[in-house]
Amino acid sequence: MPHTDEPEAPEIEEHHESGVHADLSDEEYHQHADLYMERMHEQVEELQEGREDVEVDYAAGVLSVTFPPNGTYIVNKQPANKQIWLSSPLSGPKRYDWVVSGESMHQKAEGGSGDWVYMRDGTRMSELLRKELGISIDLMEEGDATKKPTVDPVE
Amino acid sequence: MFRRVLATAPAQASRALQSTARPTTSSFARTITPAAQPARRSYHEKVLDHYNNPRNVGSMGKNQQDVGTGLVGAPACGDVMKIQIKVDPKDDTITDVKFKTFGCGSAIASSSYLTELVKGMTLEQASRIRNTEIAKELCLPPVKLHCSMLAEDGIKSAISNYYSKNPKAKTTNLGGTGSSMPKIEVETLRSDAPAATATA
Repeated sequence: MPHTDEPEAPEIEEHHESGVHADLSDEEYHQHADLYMERMHEQVEELQEGREDVEVDYAAGVLSVTFPPNGTYIVNKQPANKQIWLSSPLSGPKRYDWVVSGESMHQKAEGGSGDWVYMRDGTRMSELLRKELGISIDLMEEGDATKKPTVDPVE
Repeated sequence: MFRRVLATAPAQASRALQSTARPTTSSFARTITPAAQPARRSYHEKVLDHYNNPRNVGSMGKNQQDVGTGLVGAPACGDVMKIQIKVDPKDDTITDVKFKTFGCGSAIASSSYLTELVKGMTLEQASRIRNTEIAKELCLPPVKLHCSMLAEDGIKSAISNYYSKNPKAKTTNLGGTGSSMPKIEVETLRSDAPAATATA
């Protein structure tokens, strides 16, 4: 259960230029959401390997993580709203929308440079997962088109 | 659309409810398929109590000056709540409250419990209600915390509707959270649907 009855004003973490709430098609939504859910699933499964008391279950689009001493986390897609819903035993329920950041800048429009953001306070789901579960979700891995080339040119 | 779906007095459902621990109405919302779970989780008795004996079910005249109407949720998600408050303009206290909810047992219980809480409160106090209180009181499981959040959104929406109709009333910035207006997700089917903004 959430542990505060009177939460203080939320700290807005690393607010890059505030992103724009993307207008997604159903297909795009599922693409982004599925990718995120899979990454999350991978990460928490790794957690589970390190600890006996962590339980992970991913079925019917619902990811459930029992993570002592915090409690049980539930993360699920909510296609009707094009959101991902998260329920944290520490910080309560949150609904995340896909927000794209800085399209005009260094990212290509389809680069998928966005994140799941809780519009009410601007916090990102990855931030919460990092803080409460110690996992990091990086959507920019694996040959993403917008990723800048690394040091060694391959040839 | 509302009239059709908003039955919260589950006359026929209550009998079914007593035999199984789950509401059998089609309003049982999204989420976890119970198939693989070995132990069947049942609703907490407090939730059942609100489901069987919902408090303050009903409607008020939406166009009355002293009534604030909050409408939150989305049918596609499975949860819609309508919360109405009658406010005494002399001291901004809530003298009466009614709700109608379409959704799962936890959503119904959350809104029912909320109406119990706010009756007699000032608008200021009511705006400070947090979903955590509701969730704690009803012992909501993790997957149902969203229902308590919806109830919190609902009362805030009702309060803000009242303020938009009564701009001279003493305003509050929603209990000091300074958060923006809750996103009203429901499609406005009628042109006279309540506005969501509060004006000073």
